[in-house]
Parts: sequence; C-alpha cells; structure tokens
Amino acid sequence: MPKLKTAPDLELFRAELHQERARFPVTITICGGTGCQASQSKYVFQALKQELGAHGLDKRVWVRRSGCHGFCEQGPLMVIEPSNIFYCHITPDDVPDIVQQTMRNNVIIEKLLYTDPISGKKIQTEAEIPFYRSQDRLLLSQNRLVDPCSIDDFIAVGGYSAISKVLATMKPEKIIETIKESGLRGRGGGGFPTGQKWAECRAALGDEKYVICNADEGDPGAYMDRSILEGNPHLVLEGMLIGAFAIGAEYGYIYVRREYPLAVEHARTALKQAREYGLLGEHILGSPFSFDVEIARGGGAFVCGESTALMASLEGKVGEPRPKDVHTVEEGLWNKPTTLNNVETWANVPFIINNGSAWFAAKGTRNSKGTKIIALTGHIRNTGLVEVALGTSLNTVIYDIGGGPANGKAIKAVQTGGPSGGCLPVSKFDLPIDFDALYEAGSMVGSGGMVVMDESTCMVDVAKYFLQFLQDESCGKCVPCRLGIDRMLEIITDITEGRGKREHIALLQDLADTVQQTSLCGLGKTAPNPVLSTLRYFPEEYEAHVIQKRCPAKVCKPLITFAIDVEKCSGCGRCFAACPHGAISGEKKQAHVINPQSCNKCGICAEECKFQAITIN
Amino acid sequence: MKQYVTLTIDGAHVRAVKGTSVLDAAIEFGICIPHLCHVPNLSDIGACRLCIVEHIKDGKSKVTTSCTLHVQDGMVIRSNSEKIKKLRRNIAELLVAQAPNSRAIQDIAVRCGVKEVRYPFRNSDCVLCGQCVRVCTEMWGARALGFVGRGKDRHVDFPLGVREEFCKHCGSCNLLCPMTITPCKGPMKRGEEYLCGKCESQLMITENRPDSCVWCELGKNFQCARYSQS
Repeated sequence: MPKLKTAPDLELFRAELHQERARFPVTITICGGTGCQASQSKYVFQALKQELGAHGLDKRVWVRRSGCHGFCEQGPLMVIEPSNIFYCHITPDDVPDIVQQTMRNNVIIEKLLYTDPISGKKIQTEAEIPFYRSQDRLLLSQNRLVDPCSIDDFIAVGGYSAISKVLATMKPEKIIETIKESGLRGRGGGGFPTGQKWAECRAALGDEKYVICNADEGDPGAYMDRSILEGNPHLVLEGMLIGAFAIGAEYGYIYVRREYPLAVEHARTALKQAREYGLLGEHILGSPFSFDVEIARGGGAFVCGESTALMASLEGKVGEPRPKDVHTVEEGLWNKPTTLNNVETWANVPFIINNGSAWFAAKGTRNSKGTKIIALTGHIRNTGLVEVALGTSLNTVIYDIGGGPANGKAIKAVQTGGPSGGCLPVSKFDLPIDFDALYEAGSMVGSGGMVVMDESTCMVDVAKYFLQFLQDESCGKCVPCRLGIDRMLEIITDITEGRGKREHIALLQDLADTVQQTSLCGLGKTAPNPVLSTLRYFPEEYEAHVIQKRCPAKVCKPLITFAIDVEKCSGCGRCFAACPHGAISGEKKQAHVINPQSCNKCGICAEECKFQAITIN
Repeated sequence: MKQYVTLTIDGAHVRAVKGTSVLDAAIEFGICIPHLCHVPNLSDIGACRLCIVEHIKDGKSKVTTSCTLHVQDGMVIRSNSEKIKKLRRNIAELLVAQAPNSRAIQDIAVRCGVKEVRYPFRNSDCVLCGQCVRVCTEMWGARALGFVGRGKDRHVDFPLGVREEFCKHCGSCNLLCPMTITPCKGPMKRGEEYLCGKCESQLMITENRPDSCVWCELGKNFQCARYSQS
C-alpha cells in the first residue's frame, strides 16, 4: 500500500474501496469483542469462512469479524446484511445450517433469533429488539461496520475524513471553537469541558506538548473504553490526531491497561496500519502536521486512571497522583503541557468535526451534550453495553433497555458511575443521565458504569463492598484517603457485624465529608460517595443494622439466623444432605433442625429446600 | 531580581516572593498553619493534608493544601475558617488515632482542636509523612529509602528491604521523623493509648493572642518551620 500523500489520495482510495466492496452483495458480521470471543465467536468465524468456501459463496459474501455490538449476554452475535437478520447464541455447529438455509435458500432460522423475554416473540432484526430500539448509537454504531484490524473498513465508512477536513480547511483555533460550541464534556468521570481543556493547553507556554488517551478503565463491571478501543481503534486515533493538531502536539500516548490484551493488540495493529498509510508520522496528508502515537501499558492500578497518576506512570515513576494546583494542561507529562482525554471523549471528536457542533449539541441536555455509553449490569434482564443520548432518564435505561428486573424481585436502587459514584433509589429513577443532575443527586455519570440492584441487596453491604475496593486501590499517599477510607470501612464492618452504635452513623457522615473535601486526588474526593449516597437515601437500613441489629435484605451474615419452619418441613432430607457444615440434623419424614453453632449461614439449605421451609431472620 | 506578589491570608495583606507556597508565605508572616509533611527546602507532596486552606476564587471556596499552592497576586486565602478548622481537626484525629505514640502527632492533635478520638487507637509506628524519604532522596541524593506498597500496605523501606551501602547512616531520616519523640509520660503500651492533651496549657497562650508567634515549645516538637529556619 503506497502512502496516502494528499487528501484527494484518501478520497480516491475510499472510492476504490467502495467499488471493491460493492462486488459483495451480502455481508455477514460476527462480533469478535471480548465478550463474544469468550463464547467462542472465533470458531464460528472460522467455520463460516470454511463453509462459505465449500459452497463457493466466498466471492459473494463478505465476512467480517467486528468489535463489540453491546448485547454481550446474547453472544456470539451475527448480523447478516442487507436484510439485517440478527442471530444470537451461535455455535460453530449452527454454521452449516446458516449457510445452507439462510444464505442459499433465504430461510430464516427461527431458533437462532432473539426471543423477547417479555412477549416471548422471536425478533428478526437488530433494530426491532427492545434493547437496541431505545438506544441512540453514535460511537458504537461503527463497531458493527468495522473490522478493528482493518483500516480499509474504517476508511470505507468515512474514516479519517475529519482529519483530512481539519488539515485542509480548519485552523487550530477554529477546531477548539467547534469543540467548545459542541459542549462536549470529558467522558472519563470528571465531565470537564473538553474545548476549554484544549484551549488552555494550546495557550500554555511550551514548544513541546502531548496528548494522551486514557484507556485505563478500572471500574468493576465497566467496559465502555475497552469496547471502543478494541472495536474501533482508528476512531480514537483520528480523534487524537485532531486534538493534537488543535493544541499543537506532535506526540501522543495511549495508556491502556495490561488486562485488556485485545484492546492493546488492536490498537497496535491500528497504529501500524495508520503509519503504513501515512496517516501517522511526518507530514500527514501532505500538510506540515506531524504526529505519532505510542502505546503504554498500565499495570492495572485503579488510581492510574487519575490524570496525574497516569502521567507519573508514563514517566516510569510510581503511579501516584500529585496535587493539581498547577493543571496538567500547563505542566503535565514531563512537565510539558498535556491534554489527557478519555477514549470515549476522543472518539466523539471526529463526529463533531464531520457533522458540526450544532448537530452534536442538538442531542442531550443544556449542559450535557451528545451521547454516553453505559455498561449496564446487575439484577436486570438485558445486560450489556448501551449508548443513549445524555438526558435519557434512568427509567428508560433500566426498564426499557435493561428490560426490568431479572428474577421477579423489585428493583431497589442503581449505582451509577462506578466505585466513585453513588446509589440512587427508585424514587430518583426519573432523573436524566446528565452530569449536573446526577451530581446534585449525590452520584455521578462517571465513566458510565451502571449496576442495578434489587431488593435482595443490602445497601450497607454495597457501601462496604465499594469501600473495600477503594481501600485496596487507594495509593496511600494522602491521609484522608488512606486512613479515612480505612476507618470508614472499619465502622461499616462494625455496623454489618452487629457492633454498630448510634453515634457511628453521625461519625460516618462527618468522616465521609472530610475525606470528600480534603483528599488529594479524584479517587479520594469521590471515594465517600457510596457511603454518603446510601446514608442519604437509605438511612433506615443503617438504622435497622445499628439499632435493631437486623439486616432488612438478609445479607449481612452476623445479623441473620437460619431456622427450619416445622410446619413446612417434610423431612425430605435434602437440606441435611446439602449442608456442607453438618449443621442440620433430623430423622427422615420428621422436621429437621439447624444447629446455630455450626451453621455458617451459607444459604445452601434455602436453595435446596423445595418447600420454602428455611426461614431467615 | 525577586518578584513580589501580594495576597490576603486571613484578612492580612501578605507580601511574598513569587514562586513560594502559600504555607511558606503564611509562616514567614507569622500565621501558623499546622502542617506535618512539609519540610523547608524539600519538595512538597501534599500528603498529610493538615495545611489545608480555603482558596477563595470567583466567590467560590476551594479546599486545597497551602504547601502545594503557589502564591498569586490578589489571592484570597482563609486558613482558619470554621470549615477548615473542622476538616483539619478530623484529619488530625485520624492521625492521632493511628499513631498516638508520638509527641509531634499528639501536639498536632491538640493544636488542631481534637478533644476526643472517636476511633479505636492503633499504635502504628509510621504515619507515612514521607519526610525521611524526601530528605534521603532530595537532600542527599542517596535514595536509600522509599515507599513500598499501595494503600493500606504502603510503608517506608529500603530498596528490596535491605539496607544498602548507599545509606550513609547520616541519620537525617531519624532527625526529621515525627515518631521519634514519645509523649511526656513515656511510650504508651498497646491497648492503653490515649489522647495526651498535655500540651494544651501551652496552647492557651497562643489561642488568646492570635497572629503572634510566641516561639512555643510546642512548635519545636511540631517541627514548626520557624525553628528549622533559625
């Protein structure tokens, strides 16, 4: 491949690609994201290639292994275009059927279609599935159309047209103005206006500047950034190119965690291809602008997602944050002005340049524009990666897209924004997903994690879980974060183990406020959010634990006891056989009893019992 | 040539050399902002968070550490507001609960107004202020000490846990360590720790006459910057 030396070269190449692709009337896309790979999509891909070859269809059917489609729990996924047939849970054994029936005879295979869990109906196309229907896919829309390891695919869908436009027609100031007008805010958690950040970095003194893409995503259960970097790395790269041109940087880094091997591999391939095509390196598309990117792999410390800690880690130092009294846009990496943005933020940039700031700003609320990707998990029917316009209500995401509760129990709360976010009760579900609205409610949009919890969840236990996570992940540099989280965890552990005192609740509140206000970095400043939000919305649960020594959700082991209801017990002996601790005794056909001394409260007996005779108090 | 800026700390107009920290400027002027991890002539890391102040900007108050905040012209700082006093007291309480067996920490607790400790005492040997690490690295370039581990496991140690030749036994780390002076009544036993409060009588003098440094004995143990500078 000769280098693309000018913008017309790129357009010519794109036209050639379109011509070449037009020869294939049918396209089959198989999801190759981490989720679907785990459910063996690789073998489906291989089998399909082989089968098509055997039927002589490989000249007619274009097979693509794409990035994540979002509906991971239905994986491996397959989309057949142009008829848009959507198959899920495919195994390599289904492939001959698919080729024989669907490809040759145009017959749709019923058993591979998605079944709507509410109506029980089979659904034929992606667009009709409730999970996709209520979404507004911008960033993820290309994931299905692009093979992450093929720059040609990306160029075919219009890739690198934004940087070409920028280099030919826009001045850096104009780009920054456009980004400012679009109202784009940082997607990594802070929600800082991106345009303002770029403007400050451009204005900062210094001949050497850097751009960094923060792909150190560490929230439990969240994988927005991974899916973009893994599914469409060129989009991120194009965003970085535009950003670098706007602020005047010649070098950039993608800081990605080692736990994302596929994202690292795809980003590496993307860099290599972009260099081959002349879209990275010296004099990009014949302009004076030169730019290159290096991939740095992080060791997996949560705190390294914080900008200054990330930069310290990039410099080869211990990944610890430093005070931000001087901003990183003035003194960042190697004390040079640095613009650091999240993967999702970078990915938004090419769309804004191509379509204009007004188009972008048309979506969203007054202060939160565009779309947001959310990793939806927890006690709901449909889990996966969801993209909605900002301003969409929590209700829509949880009930319409998420499909409501999974096991018939009522939903009680949602935890938004990962470990640093807060828990919001059902009464707040009409809130829009908006940076300011969620912040005021004591939570945050954050990076976009969303964990839905039903009534079997103890909110004190949830706060304890997140504190444990944060205690492990705190770097330990500053006192409020290191000792404060430790003490909060100590108090909450006391509460969940029945040693709670009335004054503990006030102390927890006081300590949480102190940690929030005085910690050194964002991790510490947001660490008390799970505690503060549960104290605010679920005070009765804390009181039940402290005063009545009772766990309303029956989760906290020291506060619950297991017993057998004599009336209901048939003496079948299932629980007796199942108990791993030998705590159950009793004769056949007679009511059994649990010995509280040896009972470990594991709950296995309750699961085994067919008569609901096990009571938890 | 030195450039000067004028800022307001607790209502007082303070003239300070451009590039210095708010903490240094305040101490120079006689406004004692409690601090622990700050050592003159060493870099400031903002770890102990005791020197927090309110930085009033555009009508908004931002809590930040004065040791890492550089003076700017027209800056408005409040080092002793009710909000700051409360936050600082809570931090000092965390510290003294962690390491009651240090006179310096006990003094800080009293100075910051800790009247009771609401957490179980822990009797730890180190509060990770990092003075030893920085003096070894920055003053002597020896790098014989460093932080090891993360979060709860963070501690100060020699590289790979072995005292290497590059430790010159200069003793600077010991000299600076706030844990080396035990409370007046001697070391506390494990399980019998308490908030000493012995220094309170001395504290009264300064509380009655704010803004006037009396070169208190307290400051010495507290490693008040005035003592180290003289």
